[in-house]
Amino acid sequence: MAWTKPNVVQAMQSLRLTALPKPTSRLSTLQTHARNSRSYATEAEATKTPAPAAQEINFGTFSSKPARIIPASPAYFSGSPRFIDHVLKLESLQAKYASLPTVVAGEAPRMAWFKLAQFRDYVGEPVPMKKYKSLVKILQRLNRIQPDVVPAEVRETLGSFLRPGNPYAVQNEPATLDENGRARGKGKRKESSAVVQLVEGEGEVLINGKSLVEAFKRVHDRESALWALRCTQRMDKYNVWATVRGGGVTGQAEAVTLATARALMVHEPGLKGVLRKAGAITVDARRVERKKPGHVKARKMPTWVKR
Amino acid sequence: MIVRKFGMRQSRQLLAMSRRAPISARFNSAIPTGEPVVPVMPTQEPEPIIQADPVPRVENPLVEMMSAQSQAKTPAQQEESRRSKFHKLGTSVKASYDPENILRNPPKPSQVTLEMLLAAGTHLGHSTSRWNPQNSRYIYGIREGVHIISLDVTAAYLRRAAKVVEEVAARGGLILFAGTRKGQKRAVVKAAELAKGYHIFERWIPGSLTNGEQILGHCETRVVNALDEVLSEFKADLADRPSLKPDLVVCLNPLENVVLLHECGLNNVPTIGVVDTDADPTRVTYPIPANDDSLRATCLIAGILGRAGEAGQVRRLKMAAEGQTTYKPISAAELRLDPFTGLPPGGEAQKK
Repeated sequence: MAWTKPNVVQAMQSLRLTALPKPTSRLSTLQTHARNSRSYATEAEATKTPAPAAQEINFGTFSSKPARIIPASPAYFSGSPRFIDHVLKLESLQAKYASLPTVVAGEAPRMAWFKLAQFRDYVGEPVPMKKYKSLVKILQRLNRIQPDVVPAEVRETLGSFLRPGNPYAVQNEPATLDENGRARGKGKRKESSAVVQLVEGEGEVLINGKSLVEAFKRVHDRESALWALRCTQRMDKYNVWATVRGGGVTGQAEAVTLATARALMVHEPGLKGVLRKAGAITVDARRVERKKPGHVKARKMPTWVKR
Repeated sequence: MIVRKFGMRQSRQLLAMSRRAPISARFNSAIPTGEPVVPVMPTQEPEPIIQADPVPRVENPLVEMMSAQSQAKTPAQQEESRRSKFHKLGTSVKASYDPENILRNPPKPSQVTLEMLLAAGTHLGHSTSRWNPQNSRYIYGIREGVHIISLDVTAAYLRRAAKVVEEVAARGGLILFAGTRKGQKRAVVKAAELAKGYHIFERWIPGSLTNGEQILGHCETRVVNALDEVLSEFKADLADRPSLKPDLVVCLNPLENVVLLHECGLNNVPTIGVVDTDADPTRVTYPIPANDDSLRATCLIAGILGRAGEAGQVRRLKMAAEGQTTYKPISAAELRLDPFTGLPPGGEAQKK
């Protein structure tokens, strides 16, 4: 666990060995310079300049004399003192404000707590997942205190466990048509992803610069690519200009469906219900399952042989 | 059935019934029997009536209420007095057990009584079949197959342990309170807080003493003066110091912390342990024979030792305020020396 030793301490150590309080003379600056140049154990000892003694500190008064070396935290011997200090502090807060009214978990303000790795950086200790989860549980309980009666102390403490930049503060704006009257929609299916620009027109379709028939040889794919327009009877009202990448033909066709439906909703938000019922804006999140070691495919096992 | 009431056995009961029990008197009406209600007459003092009554009725709030009502002039006054007296009605529970109290305000070692230890259940040992014969001198007897620990011995050993804690605290030692069982957390933290000590309420990491550099090397330490004020100018000197070791370890569950106690033994760290009848008392330096399975018992013991440590810390700081220390303070020169070779930094080269 020596790797967890803070660099600060090591830096301080090297500072102690090198940069001691400098008198104003030119000699001392030269000495410092000489010491900064690296020396090796294999070199002759005589060439080394001895490190100068530390400057005397005036210890005249009793209170400036050191007496003891003590741990910084009462949880020193646990090996993760900072984490335990945090937990104890949060628990005392929870006990102190246990009687305050709370709201149900869904109504509490959304907070983006540190991710485990961020929290480990924050405390500088290798905290296990389970222990961090128990800490987050306390945070969530404190966060459930009714927002108008939250004490400042609690708010500050909770604030110190938030990851920088509030991801829940950004409200995604509803998409609008651009200055040329185009609506943009993105869709994915299997490995394909499609971007569709939908503009009012006469029903022309260009997919990757090709016509629909050239792009999709199968009738079924053509049907499914324009399913969003067909089910809403908008085939001759819009021009589609799509870019679709990745995957195979079916995936590309269905990615275009989703992208077209989303772009259509920008033009006519009232169609959402119809599109939902027609299954045009339902995301199919299925992906190919990975192959596992010991299996022939994702799940298929090799045939059992007696020996 | 009716006739039996006049029998010899029941006559005693009858006699007893004829006596006015205090409880029945309490609920008696304020108005003495046979006398009419006279609230309107201000000259009528209630006291002669009370004194005439054999039952001490002054304690009866109902009587007081009625009398106050009779004394009050206006209806508003009457109402007020009635209200104030009304709240005195009912019972006040005096001797009740509040589980939090022992945590909030643990007793001092001087306040330890056998009753307190008994109430906390410190006398209950283990089933006789599980005993460790080395504990025989602490055992008072057997009850229902369970060893009963002698409470006077417990109290004596507890006082001795409290003295040890106090003296270590007064000499500026690091006291570690360890209680790793479920539910001992708050007691351990409270004791450490009182004694300005250190706490372990989760697993003791094996090797924290014998391999401290690896396990506690990254934990922060600081140099303080005799008044416990942090001296930040020595921060750089702490870099290559070995990790700290406690000067006293208080273990509430020695059975589960064999490794901790073994490491303490290897490092000459004295230990105090709550030793139940199934534990080995030779594992700790200062055993306290008591029940270690009851949270209330261990909580009490931890609290008492915490209070002892508190007293020691107060004493130490008082002496420090006068400019004295009971221990040999580490000097600035020692801090600057290499802790392993005892030479100044870069001094090896000078020596050669």
